[in-house]
Amino acid sequence: MSAEYTCLVVEDSPMMRQLLVFALSRVKNLRVTEADDGVDGLRKLAAGRFDIILTDINMPIMDGLKLVKRVRSDPMHKDTPVIIITTEGAAEDRKRAIELGANAYITKPIQAPQVIAKVKELLKIVT
Amino acid sequence: MADRKAGGGQQPDAKTEASAEAKIERDSFVHTFFKKGAEFTDELLRENDRLRTRLFDLESENAALRTHLASDEAIRELLRKIEFLEREKEQLLSHVRAAERNSSHLFTRYSEVEEELSNLAHLYVASYQLHSTLHLREVLRHLKELLTQLVGSRAHAFYLKNGGELVPVASDGIELSLLPRLAIHAGSRTEEDRGSRDRNGELIERVFMTGVAHIEEGDLTGAPRDEPAACVPMRIDDAVVGVIVIYSVLDQKEQFLPVDYALFKMLGAHAATALTGALLFADANGKFPGLDAITAMTQSVGDDSK
Repeated sequence: MSAEYTCLVVEDSPMMRQLLVFALSRVKNLRVTEADDGVDGLRKLAAGRFDIILTDINMPIMDGLKLVKRVRSDPMHKDTPVIIITTEGAAEDRKRAIELGANAYITKPIQAPQVIAKVKELLKIVT
Repeated sequence: MADRKAGGGQQPDAKTEASAEAKIERDSFVHTFFKKGAEFTDELLRENDRLRTRLFDLESENAALRTHLASDEAIRELLRKIEFLEREKEQLLSHVRAAERNSSHLFTRYSEVEEELSNLAHLYVASYQLHSTLHLREVLRHLKELLTQLVGSRAHAFYLKNGGELVPVASDGIELSLLPRLAIHAGSRTEEDRGSRDRNGELIERVFMTGVAHIEEGDLTGAPRDEPAACVPMRIDDAVVGVIVIYSVLDQKEQFLPVDYALFKMLGAHAATALTGALLFADANGKFPGLDAITAMTQSVGDDSK
């Protein structure tokens, strides 16, 4: 029996969230939970354990970088891989996100195969 | 009688002499014979020795050749086996190459299908979100998100036709108040007109008039452009009612991809209807038509089609 993975998508844009959920549905045995912003994301993280987190940066209430910082200080999720998916393409944004503890940085507009490949890589799913 | 005596007296001497000569001759002959016999025997013995030696050599050579032959046979057998294995290896390599070609073809096909699926997902999500609401604010938000998040636009605006003008009704990444209203000229433009507007205005007007989209085909990175990266006419049925203008794109957006062209086409056909629907809904104070109105409209459509 294959292992089941859990993924949290934190994104304020319904369109982008739907697109990410659609893309992640291509990964077998991956259960996706959605969150509207950083605070909602933290609430979902407190309620259960996740194997991977995908988050946007620019979000109301709490942005993605603050979320990454909080995730890295949370004993339950400090080692959980985090993928940043953002419109911010500047090198310094990427550097800052990685320094805060993000494992990967993907810029929008996304290509679903790229996201799928990165998720599989971080979850060590061999296809 | 005396002669006969005389003659008779000489005969024994001659006979003796002849006999002696004959003896000498015989002895000589015998001597020679034996000598030659001895020589011949010696010769035979030497020849015999030589032949023995030769025989021994040949036997040795023969033995060596036999060993060699046996060894050659083993080598030949090994060579045959190598040849067989080489053929087998070639066949296996050929199978592997064919399998690799198949695998590569399947991988390419798989990638293409995944890409196509991703593109369809973009279109589905864009269309789904665009028509998921009738509230103008939400429709505009979805349009802006679609352009920013799915296409990679940094600054864009929506122009709608209002009388003889194209009026900017919404923008993102560029101040709406900075965008001019554009007078629509049905005919050719005078020099004075041309001078009164920038190249952006001319391009937007041209796209509106012709209904043909302008989409930058080359590299979008690098120096700032002096005209929009894309202008897409918005239609309702066959009439062009407005233009979507993308002034600039995100730094990481290198070029417009096939999915962007598909999104532009979808936007061209759906954006104006979504906006118009939202405007009509706003005009109706957010009230849905009653059942009677829907029945009346359906009946009217049915009568028209007869």
